Amino acid sequence: MGNSLKTVFYRNLWGENPVIRQILGICSALAVTNRTVNSLVMGVGLMFVTAFSSLTLSALREHIPDRIRMIVQTLVIAAYVIIVDIFIKANLPEISKALGPYVGLIITNCIIMGRAEAFARKNPPVISFFDGLFAGIGYTVILLGIALIREILGFGTIFGFSINFIDFTKWTIMVVPPGAFFMIAIFIWIASGIQNRRLKKKEAK
Amino acid sequence: MKKGYLYTIVFIAVVSIVFSGVLAAVNAAYKSRIERNVLNAEKASVLYSMGIEADDAVAVFNERVTQKDIEGIYLYSAVNDEGVMVYSIPFEGSGLWGTIRGYISVDQGLSTIKGIAFTEQNETPGLGGRIEEEWYKEQFRGIGIDKPLVYGEDSGIDAITGATSTSNAILQIMNNFIDTTLKELEEADGK
Repeated sequence: MGNSLKTVFYRNLWGENPVIRQILGICSALAVTNRTVNSLVMGVGLMFVTAFSSLTLSALREHIPDRIRMIVQTLVIAAYVIIVDIFIKANLPEISKALGPYVGLIITNCIIMGRAEAFARKNPPVISFFDGLFAGIGYTVILLGIALIREILGFGTIFGFSINFIDFTKWTIMVVPPGAFFMIAIFIWIASGIQNRRLKKKEAK
Repeated sequence: MKKGYLYTIVFIAVVSIVFSGVLAAVNAAYKSRIERNVLNAEKASVLYSMGIEADDAVAVFNERVTQKDIEGIYLYSAVNDEGVMVYSIPFEGSGLWGTIRGYISVDQGLSTIKGIAFTEQNETPGLGGRIEEEWYKEQFRGIGIDKPLVYGEDSGIDAITGATSTSNAILQIMNNFIDTTLKELEEADGK
């Protein structure tokens, strides 16, 4: 597969989606998906960090000595995460409070280092930037999907707005972490099912 | 690519210096703003715990609240929206993941809790982090402190579903506050 914008987009959103195909970034996907707002801010933060760390690391790729490349990757990623953290604290203090330690934990998100290792190391800066950005979007879309279902069933709200007009018993399990395990598993199951069916069709032809 | 040791050392040094410089610059640019945010949030928390509604927390705080030092205990006092004289006292205690800080307001007779507000907590977002939600904080308004606080129908205080440890930590912090800080204040006040 080539590296045109379109294939990079398709690959990160579906074919190699970080969460449901590569099973990366599960930690935060379990932690922040009981509220859509938290998932959105987390996703946007991750998009920014993956995009710019991929851009920077790709621009430096000719100069980074191989034996210390992971140290450099971590350093660059950490720098961007701290910038995001400072920015949110200065401009969105309420959300910073709600997310607590999770913004800092973007550093440990495997997706960012995964993109740096798998893509930015071997490709030019601009396409690496978009690869990082699309990986972040792929992550955000899945998180929002999971969060939407968990928030509706668990709290009876969407983006914090009550949907009281439909009366039902709230599913406490959706609020606690096991709910996230079930939801992620169902998402992976569906994605694998569709993908396998496509492969079979291709083989039949 | 394969590079010599010297190049490696120089490279990592340069990269470290450049990125540290960038971070220091960003930090310096936003420092005063973040500090102001924290201070304003602190003032808003004091007002909230007292039961004073304010659109412009800083202005209302400066106008109505006075700071006092009673025998080494720093507290804020003001007349709240119900016309009651209240004390707002900072508290601190351990939650599930880290230190929880905030303000607890009591009436002048030190017999009723008038409200609670949190300024710092690192509880799980969406679970323990829900102690920040209105319904949770509001239920402590007007609770008598003649006996230790407990959750349940009798006391009218609900814990947070899925966040038992954080919920219990809050009650422990509050009971501890009643047993120690308020006792000290009572003694100091009597002098």
